[in-house]
Amino acid sequence: MRRLTLLLVVVTLVIVGLLPLAVMLGKSVIVDGRLTFAVYEKLFSNSGQYWVPIRHSLMLAALTAGGATLTGVPLGLLLGKTDLPMRRILAILFSIPLLLPPYILAVCWFNLLASDGILAPIIPERTLELLSHRLFDLPGCLWVLVSAFMPLVMILTLACLHAVNPRLEEAGRLIARWPAVLWRVTLPAILPGILFAAILVFLLALGEVGVPMYLRYPVLPVETLTQFAAFYDFGAAAAAASPLLAIVLAVLALEHLLLRDQTYRLRPTTPGRRMLSIRLRGWRVPAMLVVGLLATAIVVLPLLALIVSSLSPFAYGDAWLRAADALGRSLVFAGVGATLLTAVGFLCGYLIHNRALRIWRAVDTLTLLLFTLPGTVIGIGLVALWNRSGSAFLYASSALVIFAYIAQYTALTSRISTATLANVPPSLEEAAQMIGAPWFARLAYVVVPAAFPGVLAAWFTAFIFCFRDLGASMVVYPAGQDTLPVRIFTLMANGAPSLIAALCVLLVSVTLIAMAILGLLFQGWALRR
Amino acid sequence: MSRGRLFFVVVLAGVIAAVLWRVLAPSSAHTVVVYVSHDQVFSEPILNDFQRDTGILIKAVYDTEETKSAGVMNRLIAEKANPQADVYWANEPIRAEVLRLRGVARSYRSPSAAGIPAQFRNADGYWTGFSARARILIVHRGLRDKPRSIQAYTDPRFNGRAVIANPLFGTTTAHIAALFNAWGDDRVEVFLDAMRRNGVHISSSNGESADQVARGAFDFALVDSDDVYSRERQGQPVEGIYPDQEGGGPGCFIVPNAVLLIKDGPHPAAGKKLIDYLLSRETERKLAFSDAAQIPLHPGVETPADVRRLETLNVMQVDYAAVAARMQAFQPWLRDWVGH
Repeated sequence: MRRLTLLLVVVTLVIVGLLPLAVMLGKSVIVDGRLTFAVYEKLFSNSGQYWVPIRHSLMLAALTAGGATLTGVPLGLLLGKTDLPMRRILAILFSIPLLLPPYILAVCWFNLLASDGILAPIIPERTLELLSHRLFDLPGCLWVLVSAFMPLVMILTLACLHAVNPRLEEAGRLIARWPAVLWRVTLPAILPGILFAAILVFLLALGEVGVPMYLRYPVLPVETLTQFAAFYDFGAAAAAASPLLAIVLAVLALEHLLLRDQTYRLRPTTPGRRMLSIRLRGWRVPAMLVVGLLATAIVVLPLLALIVSSLSPFAYGDAWLRAADALGRSLVFAGVGATLLTAVGFLCGYLIHNRALRIWRAVDTLTLLLFTLPGTVIGIGLVALWNRSGSAFLYASSALVIFAYIAQYTALTSRISTATLANVPPSLEEAAQMIGAPWFARLAYVVVPAAFPGVLAAWFTAFIFCFRDLGASMVVYPAGQDTLPVRIFTLMANGAPSLIAALCVLLVSVTLIAMAILGLLFQGWALRR
Repeated sequence: MSRGRLFFVVVLAGVIAAVLWRVLAPSSAHTVVVYVSHDQVFSEPILNDFQRDTGILIKAVYDTEETKSAGVMNRLIAEKANPQADVYWANEPIRAEVLRLRGVARSYRSPSAAGIPAQFRNADGYWTGFSARARILIVHRGLRDKPRSIQAYTDPRFNGRAVIANPLFGTTTAHIAALFNAWGDDRVEVFLDAMRRNGVHISSSNGESADQVARGAFDFALVDSDDVYSRERQGQPVEGIYPDQEGGGPGCFIVPNAVLLIKDGPHPAAGKKLIDYLLSRETERKLAFSDAAQIPLHPGVETPADVRRLETLNVMQVDYAAVAARMQAFQPWLRDWVGH
């Protein structure tokens, strides 16, 4: 039964992810029924033109991963391990950029640095002009993407800190001060988690198309979109995206080399012991100042730009009238998508953690590759695969949106589940097996309950990414059933700035409210237990 | 409740939500599916009016120039074997022509098209133009000596002070293609190289160009007329100038919307009704009075005072089919010019 279920999950991934990709790659090598590599020859013949976007992509992704890690890890330590005032509120505040499509953040920064923006009165004109100029280049892209993805590193650092055995830190504290303990005990313990977060950010930045296109920094996904939008050439678009496969394989090899499977070996906390906290004493005020400045720079200012832009008498009423239906659909789609992603991701994580099938590494690679691909490639692949008379009932429904979510985001829930399962002692499942419990029962009554915080974290993460998804949704949503991010995007063309800002505020508020309600429900449930 | 049960409750909730979402989805009877590349803020009210007036349910897929219409166009091409759309409302005729060349369109001569000049229609009825935008210069109001021609892009006075949308996409591609046809390859290449040497900035879209001029980052940009009107009506310090109107200039490039019937679409009768509605004089009047401020192609349609009438303009003579045919050929050169 275990093997059959896991095979079923693999087949699901193949159907919703690998086959659309194969269709796209097929279009790149089969033209008019003949096998040809002309598309690749043509694309790579002008190597100077093609390598620039690849170099840019790698540089942007590496710098974003570096920047987000160097900011997110110290922030996670400060918010998770110290007695910094208002740290819970700050953690929520720092997470907000993750709720918005990064493109919106780029627009916010463009508005902020405008000559009539809210920064104009406090920044000298020349400096503002210089900043505005630098926004449309690598520094601007980097700033926006670091602020968009840094929360991911911060959240994963916070989560990893809970898995550090406090006894090790206590032992360290007997002979050294906190900085040395952090450096020699805590950070090495969470290093696999940090590297995992850095890789996620690297892949997210690598596949990002909206921000580099808006800020005019040529990268590989923009090249893919150009093939779609300027030439309507699916084969060339798939060929343009093919180097991403090589990059993903290189990243996986690097991960294997650096971690040697340690990613999933965070030691479980000793039962009944709480995480050790650092008392900042005299450093509380300076630390608060630094964190406050950072929050202002990467969260408050863009949010303020949105809120100020939305302050028009009718903006929110108009936003509600124009987008209430899309908002409702987004919530339902994201809820259904997150639930299915959690289930598929958990089973993938189980497969990878237990190496239950020989193809476990291929499954991991496939999910990561799909995670990195531009949503447009996945979307068009899904359209090409599913738009047939026999599957019209699926194609004309919203199922394709969910397929796109599963194809693109399974890597997230799978990796979170894998890391969580590493904290579940295998003896639990073995004991249940010894008393004759069938696999489903072991999974439902032993493994899932033991890994429940991770399952919940996977659901929340999946919900956020589904709710803000734009790339793939834009291509596959059924007529008349668009989602809120798609609606915002299509209304941005000549829509009143106040309306767009109000819609963005609505997007953030609804996500926060939904997460808060679910968080409270979970907390209530945990307390009752 | 145990964790295992809670997990199953969550899964069950997901399944129930899925069923509800399917059950609550609107019925497909008496429906028309339209894919739209024209800005949603302008097209949605027209489609809502059609739904109200005819009782036919509109199901729309919108796209925008900001996404380079990559969604809708590629979707239409990918869906060719099993079309889902009945009608495509393109924001310019080049896309319609590309779809005709790819066999996605079906001929339909709408009675509402009578009176629309032949230049803005496909001779075989595969697409019909209506309500046009013009490619005009958006100029910052504070600028003293304002440009009057697209040649201003090569004028040293505007060195580093002009911006243009990426010519690989949208109406800017069509405009450049029209110039290639009107001037010939050599002259256009000289012109574009001179633009480059004069420090032209390339933006990601017409909307972004217009915003940058409105904010004073640049003096002028070549954009679509609706980009200018919408910003003027929002009180931004810009004005529109119709270029090359005097002295035998090439004239102003006119970009009509275009509507076409999708070949083998699921609701052809409703699709034809929608096309008739879009091509009507009343729709042109509404689009003229909307913030899109579009120029009617039917003669004698009422317009607001600030919307120029077609007969008052020096219009660039364009064969849209020839432009579409040329576009693919020179885009590699343009990509080099853009720098990626």
